[in-house]
Amino acid sequence: MQAAAEEVRSESVGGVHELEGKYLTFALGKEEYGIGILKVREIIGLMEITAVPHTPSYIKGVINLRGRVIPVLDLRLKFEMETEAYTERTCIIVVEVQGESAAVQVGMLVDSVSEVLNVSGQEIEPPPAFGGSTETAFILGMAKIKGDVKILLDADRIIGTGELAGFEAM
Amino acid sequence: MAEIARELSEYLDDMALNILMVEPGDLSVVGALLELTEQLVAEAGKQEGQGMILSMAKSFNAALQKIIMGDLPDSAENFDRLGQCVVQMQEVARKGGEVDEAANRLFRENMTAVGFAVEEQAGPPSEAEPAAAQSPAAPPAPEPAAPSASAKAEKGGAVDLDFLQDKDLLAGFVAESFEHLESIEVNILDLEQDPGNSDIINNIFRTFHTIKGVSGFLNLKKINELSHITENLLDDVRNGKREMDSDVIDVVLGVGDYLREMVQNVKDVLEKGPDVYRDYGISQFVERVKAVQSGQGEAAPAVLQLDEEDEESSSAEAEADVPPAVAPQGRSSAAAQPAAGSQPAAARANGPAARSRIGESIKVDIDKLDGLVNAVGELVIMQSLVRQNPLVSRLADPKLNRDFSQLARITTELQRTAMAMRMVPIRQTFQKMTRLVRDLSKKTGKTVDLIMVGEETEVDRNMVDSIYDPLVHMIRNSVDHGVQSPDAREKVGKPRTGSVYLRAYQKGGNIVIEIEDDGEGLNTPKIRKKALERGLISEGDNLTDHDIQNLVFLPGFSTADKITDVSGRGVGMDVVKKAVEKLRGKVDVSSEAGKGSIFTIRLPLTLAIIDGIIVRIGMERYIIPTIAIQESIRPKREEYNTVYGKGEALMIRDRLVPIIRLYEIFGVEPTYTDPCEALVVVVENEGVQRALMVDELLGKQEVVIKSLGGYLKDTKGVAGGTILGDGRVGLILDLASLLAIERSSAEAAATAEGEMF
Repeated sequence: MQAAAEEVRSESVGGVHELEGKYLTFALGKEEYGIGILKVREIIGLMEITAVPHTPSYIKGVINLRGRVIPVLDLRLKFEMETEAYTERTCIIVVEVQGESAAVQVGMLVDSVSEVLNVSGQEIEPPPAFGGSTETAFILGMAKIKGDVKILLDADRIIGTGELAGFEAM
Repeated sequence: MAEIARELSEYLDDMALNILMVEPGDLSVVGALLELTEQLVAEAGKQEGQGMILSMAKSFNAALQKIIMGDLPDSAENFDRLGQCVVQMQEVARKGGEVDEAANRLFRENMTAVGFAVEEQAGPPSEAEPAAAQSPAAPPAPEPAAPSASAKAEKGGAVDLDFLQDKDLLAGFVAESFEHLESIEVNILDLEQDPGNSDIINNIFRTFHTIKGVSGFLNLKKINELSHITENLLDDVRNGKREMDSDVIDVVLGVGDYLREMVQNVKDVLEKGPDVYRDYGISQFVERVKAVQSGQGEAAPAVLQLDEEDEESSSAEAEADVPPAVAPQGRSSAAAQPAAGSQPAAARANGPAARSRIGESIKVDIDKLDGLVNAVGELVIMQSLVRQNPLVSRLADPKLNRDFSQLARITTELQRTAMAMRMVPIRQTFQKMTRLVRDLSKKTGKTVDLIMVGEETEVDRNMVDSIYDPLVHMIRNSVDHGVQSPDAREKVGKPRTGSVYLRAYQKGGNIVIEIEDDGEGLNTPKIRKKALERGLISEGDNLTDHDIQNLVFLPGFSTADKITDVSGRGVGMDVVKKAVEKLRGKVDVSSEAGKGSIFTIRLPLTLAIIDGIIVRIGMERYIIPTIAIQESIRPKREEYNTVYGKGEALMIRDRLVPIIRLYEIFGVEPTYTDPCEALVVVVENEGVQRALMVDELLGKQEVVIKSLGGYLKDTKGVAGGTILGDGRVGLILDLASLLAIERSSAEAAATAEGEMF
């Protein structure tokens, strides 16, 4: 994980400009986060989630997405934030990431979805070095837009197989 | 003679006309030209003394095919040169087929200019020439010195994997060949029932013919050669020159098996790269086929036999004779030539009756089919959601209700059809067993009749393949251990010929397959003794004969006194049981000493759908596969026991069944925590019984199994998810891993306990 974090950092430092593009931003607690729009499949309202036993706590369970069963994870729990009751603004962002063999769709529970932002290269800064914690591994960079800081997330790393290996060890 | 020459000339004139009309890129005219050439080859082949024309026509034919295949450019220049070739052929024809060195030289020069290498013909044309002319192309260069007819096994040497050039074509060939080879078996077995049926013989012939043709094009020379000689043999049968006797059948089946192996290797090469390429020696088969062809063909005229022999040997010679220089060119001509030679046969085989046995069908990508099944399943759920919507259900409109029931009918029909698409008759699998029994009875010296019932029973496509191995095992077992030898049978007053019944039928939501033999039956005392020796049971166990008989499904349990080649190799019926359980099925045996035994396999209709009981625990619903469920009861206080350090158990019919509190494993808040208030569902998996505690049974339903996605695939205790009637996801329990969790936690508890003391 340490190595992965470093790899991401060097990547980000080297090529923040490659990160420019459109991001879907959403709120989680007080912070605003962004996720690459190309990863996003759709945004759906909260629906009933079936809990799956023997999974990490941040995996809320599975939902029926038009006949497909997809897992849903709670980003608050994933980022070790305080849980809050779901509101009517709570959304599930369905992202598609490359799994081991095929593309997998995973839902991410967030407080609310804000907007789609165009982020240019010079607005992006590499993630701050908090000291090798896993959390920074998910961060592609920080976007400063009109005085606000939005944290750009790497969907692949949030859902990535490296994380899965972590669960299996549990 | 002159008459014949005129006929040939007519063909040649037509060809000359055609070649004038050819425009580059206009393949239809080239096709017409090819057809004419083939007729010419056929015509010239029939006549004596036309060897010269024949060999020229064949080269011409091959060159044309190369142009069609795109190996040679179809430029105007090339067609001009081909035109010149036709002129030379006309020249030869005018001279009544005499050898004309000048014409031959010009012909060759032109052919070379086109980019097609014509082999030098050693010596003047002789009687054997037709064959020589046909075969020189057959041997591609990398194996110049591999005489196929020699008994020596061919060696790979410099591995020639030229055939890898067109992988798409090759993959198509592999798939097709497997299908064809499968049909050989089926057809041969049909033929045994109905000897002399020319349709069936034609079918078999066509299989080899097709494989020969395509493998020729693809430069799979061994496959090509082997199928070619087999085709020759079958051609004799077709033409009534010899009987389709057991010798022919044996050799054809043998060749079919070997070809399958070779094709499989081609497939492996395609998948894993050239490293796995194996060079198969076919000389053994070539000789066998030839022996059969020449050996017992009383009905066949001797001359013809000789001719065939000549063709074979000369082809072998020719193979050795190819000058290496010609090699690169010879490669694709090799591909084209044999096919060219076979064209007349093809024309004969494609009679109107040819396809009468095959129902019309198309091949569909399994993913598309799954997509359809999924979509239809979703449609059914959506429909019930709409209908149950409180707003909609309040509308008491008769028309709406009518429309809804109409819609329901349509969706149900749609679902049924979608499901049915995945189903195929079990016939093919069964028919393979006929072959097996035939081989086995030969090997063991027993005479056994296999009687099949219900071959039309339909099974899920995915299941057909998986059921094959267990079936083979059980049939082997029945023939080898079940049915006694003819003498022994006579002694006990049974007919010398044993019978094995293979039945398939639908019963409830299951496919049932039965294998029954009228042999000696299981030796129950012996099984009991063996089980005692192995400590599988104890003296005090109160077991019925049926219980004891079913012990044969335990690992390493074989009662055979001697290990034969056929079965009893230490892998026993446990393999069968495992394979069947993987398909969520069950296997059972019942037997009567001296009378025989019946093995019964019960399988779900499809792998995509599971028959389950929906249970509720707290707010969650789970599905327990019905096949594992034995009973469901509300425990009485006096049946409930706690075993110190081992958890809790219920006394059910004199058996102590441990309780699993599902809510603990799944971490949900249950309605009841007292087993005597809740319900228990008694399940069995791999001989282990457990009582699962649930709050309520909600009903029985067929549910479509859906993967939880790669992300959660290996979740313990859960086999997958399904979408329930209200659109929510319900989890399907996986009993095997569930029991494993329980076991490990029990062990953990036990060790923790142990550490305390």
